[in-house]
Amino acid sequence: MMRRKKSMKFLFLLSILAIVIAGCSNKGGNNTNSPSPSATTAESTAPSAEPSADANTPVQGGTLTVSTFSDIVSVNPLFISDTASGDMAYLMFASLYDLDREGNLAVEPWSLAAEPPQISEDGKTYTVKLKNTAKWSDGQPITAEDVVFTLNTIINPKAASPAMSQYDKIASIEKLDDYTVKITLKQVYAPFEYSLMLTPVPSHILKDVKPEELQANPYGKEPAKTVTSGAWKWSEWKAGQYVSVEANPEYWSEVKPNIQKIVYKIYADQNTEVQALIKGDVDSTSAIPITQLEAVEKNDKISIVKGEGKANTYEFIGFNFDSNNFPDKFIPFATQKSRQAIAYALNRQGMVDNVLKGTGTLLNAPFLPNNWSHAGEKAVNYAFDPEKAKALLAEDGWVAGKDGILVKDGHRFSFELQYNAGNSRREAVSQIIQQNLKDVGIEVKTSAIDFATWQDQNIVPGKYSAILIGWSLSNPDPDSESIFSSKYFTPTGLNSGWYKNEKLDQLWVDGYSVVDRAARSEIYGKIAEEISTDLPYIFMYQYGNPQGLGPRVKFAPEDAPEPTQQSGYFYHIIKWWVTE
Amino acid sequence: MTEFFIRRTLQSVLVLFLITLVTFGLIHAAPGGPFQIMLSPGLTPEALQMQAHNMGLDRPLPIQYFSWLGDLLQGDLGYTFKNHVAIGDILWPTIKNTFILMGVAWLLTLIIAIPWGIYNSTKEYSLSDQTASFISYIGFAMPTFWFGIILQQIFSIKLDWLPLADMYSMDKEGQVGNLLLHLILPVTVLTLGFLAAYVKYSRASMLEILDQDYVRTARAKGVREGKVIYKHALRNALIPVITIVALDLPLLVAGAALTESVFNWPGMGRLFVQMAVAREYSVLMAITLLTSVIVILGNLLADLLYAVVDPRVQLGKKGGKSA
Repeated sequence: MMRRKKSMKFLFLLSILAIVIAGCSNKGGNNTNSPSPSATTAESTAPSAEPSADANTPVQGGTLTVSTFSDIVSVNPLFISDTASGDMAYLMFASLYDLDREGNLAVEPWSLAAEPPQISEDGKTYTVKLKNTAKWSDGQPITAEDVVFTLNTIINPKAASPAMSQYDKIASIEKLDDYTVKITLKQVYAPFEYSLMLTPVPSHILKDVKPEELQANPYGKEPAKTVTSGAWKWSEWKAGQYVSVEANPEYWSEVKPNIQKIVYKIYADQNTEVQALIKGDVDSTSAIPITQLEAVEKNDKISIVKGEGKANTYEFIGFNFDSNNFPDKFIPFATQKSRQAIAYALNRQGMVDNVLKGTGTLLNAPFLPNNWSHAGEKAVNYAFDPEKAKALLAEDGWVAGKDGILVKDGHRFSFELQYNAGNSRREAVSQIIQQNLKDVGIEVKTSAIDFATWQDQNIVPGKYSAILIGWSLSNPDPDSESIFSSKYFTPTGLNSGWYKNEKLDQLWVDGYSVVDRAARSEIYGKIAEEISTDLPYIFMYQYGNPQGLGPRVKFAPEDAPEPTQQSGYFYHIIKWWVTE
Repeated sequence: MTEFFIRRTLQSVLVLFLITLVTFGLIHAAPGGPFQIMLSPGLTPEALQMQAHNMGLDRPLPIQYFSWLGDLLQGDLGYTFKNHVAIGDILWPTIKNTFILMGVAWLLTLIIAIPWGIYNSTKEYSLSDQTASFISYIGFAMPTFWFGIILQQIFSIKLDWLPLADMYSMDKEGQVGNLLLHLILPVTVLTLGFLAAYVKYSRASMLEILDQDYVRTARAKGVREGKVIYKHALRNALIPVITIVALDLPLLVAGAALTESVFNWPGMGRLFVQMAVAREYSVLMAITLLTSVIVILGNLLADLLYAVVDPRVQLGKKGGKSA
């Protein structure tokens, strides 16, 4: 009878457990909130996986096995909002445009567009001309019809496509002829250029499906029913185990893939995933946890593509400016000086060296160092200087209290810093922040919260005092209006800290209202100066998980992975090859 | 007997119903519940609302509950929230895989543990008994996943004798020889975990019986020691062992989440972890429910086995008349 009681208890525990574990979503080392679907990767320093003398000639055939931590949801390009699905769609679908290594729109042999987009004088109209050779995997031609259908579906609220916000500036879509589409915007909106990296879906397959039923449609979930346009076509999906694609016999580009089959293999445990790379069960791991990095580095068969300075993700401390979130409605970091003092007090380089093991670079503004605008270079750099921090705090009217913590007008300089539980990087960094700030008389209480709860109860409603979190940038455009402008307070936008700076609000608008890059770069430079002085965030560093490549993977240096981009660990994969 | 069976079955149905209610309620009350899972930062609140509507998640909870229950009664486990894939298609293959892994480990455990426990009960504190105790301590104390990692390091990475993880090699799917190779490490880990309890249990149970008067009587009558042990004592000693065996049956399906994850075994335990990470509550509900059914069946079976093995257990006699 004892035994039976125990079983019933087990049952109850099981349902509790379901909820507790469910909370720990985004378990890996890399939790980021992203303005749009995002991949988080690392950077390529090593140009190729050790090209040996006779290994420089591509070989046809073979299988490439890539490991991943999560399964796909759907590869239907209309509904992709997770990394795994994005990765597989990258292999299976062609887009209108691709990116070159510098983050410029490029017409590659595998792009659907025939030439760069023609932008009208007033900057509002984009004309895209398609290649007339492209075909779907069922042999049908890819035409303007497909592009128009795809865009119309995305902007139809009934379809509820997560891509909608990228296209909400569209005024009209027009098919000029079978291979030409004209898109007119309501206003000049320079970042729209990157929205032209659109991945069309086949109109002849989906046009009769009601928009509200598209998400539940088998298209994107059943290999046989998913007609695609890319170099590989979908052959199999074993839920929770692997997804595989094979070279598309109908592939239309003059450049054909060398690799015959790509298997995307799912591991439930990151340690096992890394061991599988070492053993050779998999050829590429897109994210080696920092904690495992040293073990992998010891193995000379594995080449590591690290993330210094090039990943598309950055981390920051976000301040909240709504006094309702503070005891006695007192915001301790309300003044610019106090926030600058915090910036000086933090040993960010120490964090990069010790916690990130060198896989990150300092960052002073919301612009990645490799961005074409080079705006980040204009930002104020706060080098580690506790004395300067103390001086600034004294100027700001703070005096040491009895317990060593600073006091002003009867309020202690104390606040809570939240991060997501289970993220070992943020846990380590938050402890350093706590210590660094204690050294200048600021008390930080760290609080680790399960990711789903955090998002649900703190971030989306904008209820916290400070958060340690990251953004993953989905494209190389420097526009971040929806994160920092007071037009975009949460939940409509991503400004969850209720930050308001009218000068910046206007600059963000100026930044996208002109198409010319030189003019834009200048505006973003001004934004960098202003934002790094005012500090709605303490910008910490950009970081990325290192990618590991096994000895079988080969590519020419110009085709190496490009971690600044989404699915960039597959950059130019069409030209890669594998050896036996 | 029949009356007992009917009563227990009705009880079980009631318990199951309560479980569906609690599972559904808890999961819908959880932060970041099914509605939130679709929160993709590019999505406006209106679009989010629309997505929830398209997936039927904005209906009132009681309606969602009864529609879910109605489908369940027809054997339909429903669809995943995120991508509308039939849950049955995901779940059933993993049950088969878990059953293979757990079944082998469990059978192996029984084959080793029961005879060994009995032998040790007759040779208390012998070397064999001490060894069993030692192994039991290790089995109880060591986290299985950690033991799994150690075995992987030695036999797969260093020595390269055995596969690291998975159920089959990629190109050898369905081959029995390949499956057996993949079974060795996880089965070793699981068996060690099981063994600890079973050896201790069968030894203790046997020792208790050997102390009974009727065993002493048999010995006093001059019955051979072998016959005393295997004929007189064993049958009675096995009753409690059978009970725990029956109650452990659910494990055969529920699997071992950590061991399956470490060895990337595509079973139900691993699926549970994956789906929890992905916040796919619909599948978690299905797994919880399924496990519940099996726990309840295991309980029922144990009760019935009592009656079959031990005539002293009289079931259904409460009301006087019995079938």
